[in-house]
Amino acid sequence: MTEPEQAVERARAAAAAMRERGAYTDASAPERETATTPAKLLEWALIEPDLRDVRSTRRLGAPVTALKRLLVRLLEQYHAELNAQQTRFNVAVLGQLRELEERIEELERRLEGREPPQ
Amino acid sequence: MNVHQLLSGAGPHDAITTEALAFRSYFRSWGWGGQDHAGRIVPGCNGSIVPLARLRAQPDDVLLLHHSARTQGLRELLALPNPKLLLYHNVTPAEWLWDQAPLVAVQCAIGREQLPELVEAADVAAADSAFNAAELRALGAGRTEVVPLLVDLGRLGSGTDDGREAPGPPTILFVGRLSPHKREDAVIKAFSLYRRHRAPEARLVLVGDALTTGYAEHLRALADELAPGAVTIESGLSDRELGERYRAADVFLCLSEHEGFCIPLLEAFHFGLPVIARPAGAVAETAGDAAILVEDPDLAVVAELVHLAVSDRGLRDELRSRGREQLGRYSAERVAARLRAAVEATASSRGSQPDVDPSDVNQLS
Repeated sequence: MTEPEQAVERARAAAAAMRERGAYTDASAPERETATTPAKLLEWALIEPDLRDVRSTRRLGAPVTALKRLLVRLLEQYHAELNAQQTRFNVAVLGQLRELEERIEELERRLEGREPPQ
Repeated sequence: MNVHQLLSGAGPHDAITTEALAFRSYFRSWGWGGQDHAGRIVPGCNGSIVPLARLRAQPDDVLLLHHSARTQGLRELLALPNPKLLLYHNVTPAEWLWDQAPLVAVQCAIGREQLPELVEAADVAAADSAFNAAELRALGAGRTEVVPLLVDLGRLGSGTDDGREAPGPPTILFVGRLSPHKREDAVIKAFSLYRRHRAPEARLVLVGDALTTGYAEHLRALADELAPGAVTIESGLSDRELGERYRAADVFLCLSEHEGFCIPLLEAFHFGLPVIARPAGAVAETAGDAAILVEDPDLAVVAELVHLAVSDRGLRDELRSRGREQLGRYSAERVAARLRAAVEATASSRGSQPDVDPSDVNQLS
């Protein structure tokens, strides 16, 4: 019997032994990117709602879901205009952000090149 | 005494809503009044929780603020003269949610922003785990109480304590919201390795409501790619059905990277199920020494642990026995005593006295 406290060590040894026999060639966890990068911000700037997210959480909510989706479709033109305005704002803010980043980088470069005060 | 409970959101499958309703039963049995309110109410609560806008509190009434996400109209609530008890359930860090559910991420980001204000305004600061309480202390809470989540395991049916093994091929189970921080993707990958190298007939069951339909589809696609036909993803189960899933499983595998408490660990102990888990957040505290805790990022180690937990009868028995013991630390009586002490401390913090005999109060363990 393995004591719970010994289990991880035993599993590590077993995994290593199995690897020597050619098993577990790809055993890394799926990558998860949680940092908010500029590239991700750009991707998010474009507002693209998914109609599948419109649903009812009630039990037997299928007819409610269908009604909600119909309403969204009927209002599609209006929502498209809203999305366009929001996307315009998002992209403009990102542009401003990028410009500010460039200015900060430039200032930092200049600061690095300056002589220290006497 | 009146105690009004205020929740960020309420839903029929939500652990905090369930706990608030259980708290209400205790309050009634102690002769206390009050009502339960939430900012957002999902259909299915059957009128047991009413909107925050309908809060009518007398100045001496205690407000019990359950904090797990953004609380609507927080400033107005904190400006009320009532004694306030903060019960912090932790807030999922928004970075896990931005990609899949931006609205939920916003609620969580604001919920974290609101926490210092809540800590400052609360007469008594409490949390459902020592891990969560440490976050409150880091924000300046002088003294914190721990009131563990009140879990009604009986609703799932009686547990298995006779050491009976589940029939059929090895079945691995995880129960929890389908959400990026719960790492069901890593569970699927670890399971696929176990299946490929140790148990070709093995099955994986994931139970939980999806954060979004898109994320559920992502997990289904991953399962189809790595272990076609061997993974079942279920949601909206009744308590009886959930109990059946625990009974039919051989191992509970939790690779979640953020947990403020983790109720399913206790549910697994209730059913005598060996637990393998990442020691993230409050997991190590909730599990005690009754689970195998693994930090290794190498999923081959996790797969081998699953194999060990399925095949080593002595190990299973030992974990089952420790799980039963750990469950005792979270008995309803102990939690209720802590809750009552925290509410009464809040009520008396402004000089008002609870209208109960103090000798009634159970001693804290």
